[in-house]
Amino acid sequence: MATSLAACGGSNDTNNAGNTTGGSSEGGKQKVVAWAWDPSFNGKALNIAAEIYKQEHPEFEIEVVDMSKADLEQKLNTNLAAGVTEGLPDIILVNDPNIQKYVNSYPGTFADFTNSSVDYSQFSQYKVDALTVDNKIYGIPFDIGVTGLFYRTDILTEAGFTAEDLENITWDEYIEIGKVVKEKTGKYMSTINPNDEALTSVLLQSAGSWYITADNKGNFVDNPAMTETLRVYKAISDSGIAKPVTGWSEFVGSFNSGDVATVVSGVWQIASIMDAQDQKGLWAVAPTPRLNIEGGENASNEGGSSWFVVEKSANKDLAMEFLGATIGGSSEFYERFLTEAGGVGSYIPSFSSEAYQQTSEFFGNQAIYADFTEWSTKVPGISLGMYTQEAKDALKNELPNILNGADLQKSLANIQQLFEQQVQ
Amino acid sequence: MGGKLSKSSLIGWQFVLLPSALILLFSFYPMIQSFILSFESGKGNVSEFVGLGNYSRLLSDPMFRQALYNTILYLIIQVPIMLFLGLIIAHLLNQPNLKFKGFYRTAIFLPCVTSLVSYSILFKSMFAVDGIFNKLLMNLHIINEPIAWLMDPVWARVVIIAAITWRWTGYNMIFYLSAMQNIDPSVYEAASIDGASKLRQFFSITIPMVKPIILFTAIISTNGTLQLFDEVINITNGGPGNSTMTISQYIYNLSFVYTPNFGYAATVSYAIVIIVAVLAFIQMKIGGDKK
Amino acid sequence: MRHLAAFGKHLFLIVASVISLFPFLWMIIGMTNTSSDIVKGQFSFGSNLGTNISKLFDSTPIGTAFMNSLIIAVISTVLTLLLCSLAGYGFEVYRSKNKDRLFAFLLLSMMMPFAAIMIPLFKMFSQWGLMNSVVAVILPTMTTAFMIFFFLQNTKSFPRELLQAGRVDGLNEWKLFTHIYMPTMKPTYAAAAIITFMANWNNFLWPLIALQSPEKKTLPLIVSSLASSYNPDYGIIMVAIVISTIPTVLIFFLLQKQFVQGMLGSVK
Repeated sequence: MATSLAACGGSNDTNNAGNTTGGSSEGGKQKVVAWAWDPSFNGKALNIAAEIYKQEHPEFEIEVVDMSKADLEQKLNTNLAAGVTEGLPDIILVNDPNIQKYVNSYPGTFADFTNSSVDYSQFSQYKVDALTVDNKIYGIPFDIGVTGLFYRTDILTEAGFTAEDLENITWDEYIEIGKVVKEKTGKYMSTINPNDEALTSVLLQSAGSWYITADNKGNFVDNPAMTETLRVYKAISDSGIAKPVTGWSEFVGSFNSGDVATVVSGVWQIASIMDAQDQKGLWAVAPTPRLNIEGGENASNEGGSSWFVVEKSANKDLAMEFLGATIGGSSEFYERFLTEAGGVGSYIPSFSSEAYQQTSEFFGNQAIYADFTEWSTKVPGISLGMYTQEAKDALKNELPNILNGADLQKSLANIQQLFEQQVQ
Repeated sequence: MGGKLSKSSLIGWQFVLLPSALILLFSFYPMIQSFILSFESGKGNVSEFVGLGNYSRLLSDPMFRQALYNTILYLIIQVPIMLFLGLIIAHLLNQPNLKFKGFYRTAIFLPCVTSLVSYSILFKSMFAVDGIFNKLLMNLHIINEPIAWLMDPVWARVVIIAAITWRWTGYNMIFYLSAMQNIDPSVYEAASIDGASKLRQFFSITIPMVKPIILFTAIISTNGTLQLFDEVINITNGGPGNSTMTISQYIYNLSFVYTPNFGYAATVSYAIVIIVAVLAFIQMKIGGDKK
Repeated sequence: MRHLAAFGKHLFLIVASVISLFPFLWMIIGMTNTSSDIVKGQFSFGSNLGTNISKLFDSTPIGTAFMNSLIIAVISTVLTLLLCSLAGYGFEVYRSKNKDRLFAFLLLSMMMPFAAIMIPLFKMFSQWGLMNSVVAVILPTMTTAFMIFFFLQNTKSFPRELLQAGRVDGLNEWKLFTHIYMPTMKPTYAAAAIITFMANWNNFLWPLIALQSPEKKTLPLIVSSLASSYNPDYGIIMVAIVISTIPTVLIFFLLQKQFVQGMLGSVK
């Protein structure tokens, strides 16, 4: 830490000393540094939180350093693997499936929030579950990706369906509807991208399952939810109702240009859907289709992150207090987060606020956020474990074979074996 | 040469000492630490000594085998094509009386100025199902339906190979061109007077004089292709189903995507070092000087 | 017959040029369109250039990043040319068994994927207190076996008689390098300068790790952040890519005359 001046490379700006451990507290100013991706969403949230916190603590300042998620993970891992905490920020954004990985790989690096002032009972249980490792809670829940079935009311009507026909359906029913839509309107029902496991993740969680078990073993064999998930996935692919896309921009382009009638995705997809301003008033949201097995719910989750604090940072207490007072317990924050950034949190008290009850003209005057938050209470909680990425890659490897008609049981056994080899 | 050999050799060391020391410090020192790490396994900072455990794991690792297969495939197909193209183009551009030389030279070199991330993004969008390339092929009636380039294992590899070739041919062309510039034009004139055809001159004069550079580009390209990373990450991300994944991507996954196992990642890195070193050795034996 | 051969040559070169330039056309067209139009594959000019440029300058420190990249690239290039040509020259002109062995050993350093040595390197620089500095970015890649190899191979075709002539004229070994070798090898230096500048300009991984503060970011880091937000704005990304391409194109234009001149013109 005594190296800061040399490291500045000569520019000793007093207002930007954020290059050693976290921020600084010089001359009355209290500053924290945060790393996050997506400045218009995550960065914005931090700035909103800072404004709120400054009402009571005017000397507070936050510096949000923006970088892509992959870059952040590289920097974080490199820093931690080198055993260097210098250069780390006070606050870090973490994708939920990575929580256990970080906590277990770098013990003692992240602050333990278990006995902090944050009241975790006020948050959606499944978010808190994700943050809990060995009975300790390691951060503050942030945005949720509770899913819904976004659909074009005009296209579905043209095909002869009403809103009721889409309420609480199973995936098989969804596929049947999709076939009729394709036949009568020529539009695809949805997209499919075999390189992207978003859909299988949604399907698994909706039935309370995941790629790995709570004790980090592969969950591919003897798992009815997994078998059913892949059966449904293949059925969607075979039915011809899904437009193949190879990447994110194609995916977004498909609904922006009106090629697909529905999108099953997290609530944060709203911003992209609304980019197509010529589709105003033509969308609505229904609950996520469910797997037709025991435990299958019409609710699931896609994505979502949480905020960590670095244990060794100089401003750990300040950072924890800041987060706890805002993202960890301020209804005002969540209302502003929704209205200004379109972000949906998991803070239950905020769900009854005006912001969350508003109707959306774009979505045919449906109170979409009220619906999403209601569904969020039904999302099955699961353990994301440490090896999600390895499991997904093992699945990805075999997926083309499955889609080409290989025997499902054999494929699952292959995936299980591949996974086990990856996690030695 | 001659009697002053040992003194001149000593002076020679003065020239190479500082640069060599820098490489030893900034490359070899970390490499040694990485080598030591390759005998450990674990997660993140929690790892333990496993002796040769990582190396034996490597030999039966199906992901590694897939990555190795893909990487070698790229190597065998892409490098010869690229070097050959670069050589031909450089030769054509070396003709003193060719018109529009400057334009061609600039145009063909231009791909090299793009950053790897940028051009990968460009190629990915160009080869999308709705992308420009499909539109072009359909307009020319070469195909009837768009090809899902990046969703088919074979086509995805073709796209990767096409992208690399597009990006790096100009690079090699520059090396060959600058080497060809060092050949005295009077040598060609004399050969022309003797009646040798242009083709004959190419094979008997140009190639032998450019041989050291050909060897150079062969080794460098082999090294580069075996370490291929950015294109694969940004265009296909290893897909579909790991059919385009390279060894470097596997190392990256082991360090930054999966639960980090830096020890095993180091082991896989040394696998690359060994393969490249062996190939480089072979290439030097075939194409090196006889001195 | 000659006309047919010439036609064939030109056809081949034109095709190669079109293939090479096509993505740039795509980029320039993309610069003028909105993100959603780009995603839909629009291949005509739009009217969004001004908006894209101003959005880019508003939402990212692209001007600063440009300067940071420039400083790092220029300093690196000069140092690299000097150090690596010295070594390449030394290995080749004063060739000996031991030097050959040393060089072969040094080549190994090229073969290690950078990601594997990144962590020990990071530790090293952190211990020296050099993190987050231009020095940290430049030092590790200043001397590469690759560049030494390049100079070494090119020196094989350097005529030793020139050195002898210089010795006869009374020049010491160092002056031979600076006064005879360097001017003669201009095409090699030019090629090396272009390649090195480009490599440093586009360098991504190590600056990502070694630099921390936003105001020290280099250009590739900016492009990477832009390309990976939830909803990337491709119009802005295209502008950023074009901006990051300009300096290397300029350097190429400036130095490419060296390829035309050849050896004869530069021997004094």
